[in-house]
Amino acid sequence: MKSRYEIAKDVFIDSVDIDDYIDLNSSVTAYQQLRHSMDKPLKMILLFGKPGTGKSILLNRIQEKLKHQKEIHYFDTPAINEKEFFHKLFKVLTKKDLPSNTEVNFSALNDFCKNLRGKREIIILLDEAQMYGPEMMEKIRLLSDSRAVKFVVSLHKTEDEDLVAKEHFQSRIWEVIELKNATIEDQTAYVHKKLLKKNLFEIANSIKEKNMKRIHKYTKGNYRECNKLLFTIFEICEYYDKNDPSKVSYTKIPNKIIEMAALKLGYIHV
Amino acid sequence: MYDVEKLENEWKKYRRKRLKPWYIGILVLIFLLVPLIFFLVNQKIDFSALKSYFQTSNENGSYEVVSHLEKKNKSSILVNEALDRLEIKERILKDSMITVVDKPVKKPLNILVDIPVLDGAGEISVGDMNQDKPKVHLDIVESTSVTAYKDVEKRFMQSREIDDALFLARSYFKKGNYKKAEYWALETNKLDEDSEESLFIFVKSKVKLGHTNEAIAILMDYIKISNSDEGRKLLYQIENNEL
Repeated sequence: MKSRYEIAKDVFIDSVDIDDYIDLNSSVTAYQQLRHSMDKPLKMILLFGKPGTGKSILLNRIQEKLKHQKEIHYFDTPAINEKEFFHKLFKVLTKKDLPSNTEVNFSALNDFCKNLRGKREIIILLDEAQMYGPEMMEKIRLLSDSRAVKFVVSLHKTEDEDLVAKEHFQSRIWEVIELKNATIEDQTAYVHKKLLKKNLFEIANSIKEKNMKRIHKYTKGNYRECNKLLFTIFEICEYYDKNDPSKVSYTKIPNKIIEMAALKLGYIHV
Repeated sequence: MYDVEKLENEWKKYRRKRLKPWYIGILVLIFLLVPLIFFLVNQKIDFSALKSYFQTSNENGSYEVVSHLEKKNKSSILVNEALDRLEIKERILKDSMITVVDKPVKKPLNILVDIPVLDGAGEISVGDMNQDKPKVHLDIVESTSVTAYKDVEKRFMQSREIDDALFLARSYFKKGNYKKAEYWALETNKLDEDSEESLFIFVKSKVKLGHTNEAIAILMDYIKISNSDEGRKLLYQIENNEL
């Protein structure tokens, strides 16, 4: 039988699982904003934010919600090369597999998209778009100009990626949605809701406000970092629970353990 | 699972490092506070010590700080007083007050200092000291000091002052040295035949020396010449052994 800390630890395994989606004030706002933007006659929407701010989960969430209403497709990982990407895109647009020993002709694909205008509205959610090269991004832009395919492009917010966004999308993107790191209130709600979702009430109660202040300080409100830190915290708790139970309490998480986890993850240094 | 014990050791190091500024801060605070407290405590001790010192000096009447202050106040009061007097044009009185209080009393002639007063009746005033010598000797009526008597005798030998002789006669009689009293009464009488007192001291001394008949004879002769009532009284006392 798994110990309670082991279960708690598993809650914070970093994964883009739609079942793990937590409704927070900020995420609900972002979701509604994106949903509203998608209804507009936009060619491209840029979803912008630092890694771990919830872009991928938001794209997953919206795809999950709208999959029965719209033609929406989620491209989670960028294609290794252009050929593979257009192969994938061909399949989405034509709903057919590419015949063997054939390649997608971009001009033909673009013409196909233009023919779809007014007949179909296809939404392509492109995650980790910063990994696409400029040439491919230019082709994506051309496809979006057909107005039959709408792209929601998710980008990491770095200086270089800002440049990419400016150069390739500035004139075409009609809406930019920026996701920011969580506030302490949102992060606290996120942690507690995640634990409560797995019926770990006692563990959720053991994480006090001062613990969350410390966690927020170390992770700067980043959800991915928060997941990593809490995973490590519960891993240490699990160890103590098995080997030295006097050092851990079900009623509270000692700051010592949070600091140990932060040391382990490099948030603080000796 | 990673090595939690190793992580715990790292955390201990981290904690020490994190608390180091606090420890340093506390130490600095202690280093600052201890001398401050020490200084304040010492200040208290000093004050109490000074207070007790003041009290002690006051009780003992010693001439320490307080005495000086008192003296200062006293003199200032006196000066103020003198100034007040100056306003009412009593300049002489003011000057004498200041002289008496502020300066030590001027030593009179050596002879006057050495003679202790027997009955304390005659307080010497500064004004008196500045008067003529005979008057001074008259005021210092009796004395027990042998040296003082010798000094007066010496001076008499040089000056032949009646007052000196009479002073010695009077003093020796009072002292019970009737022989010397008789001698100095005679010396006085030699210089002033009309000196009734010298005659009386002479007669009384004779009586005390056991020469009563001789004394009565001399006194009766004097009464005949002078018709002195004082002489008669003395005669009555001698005859009735009332001396």
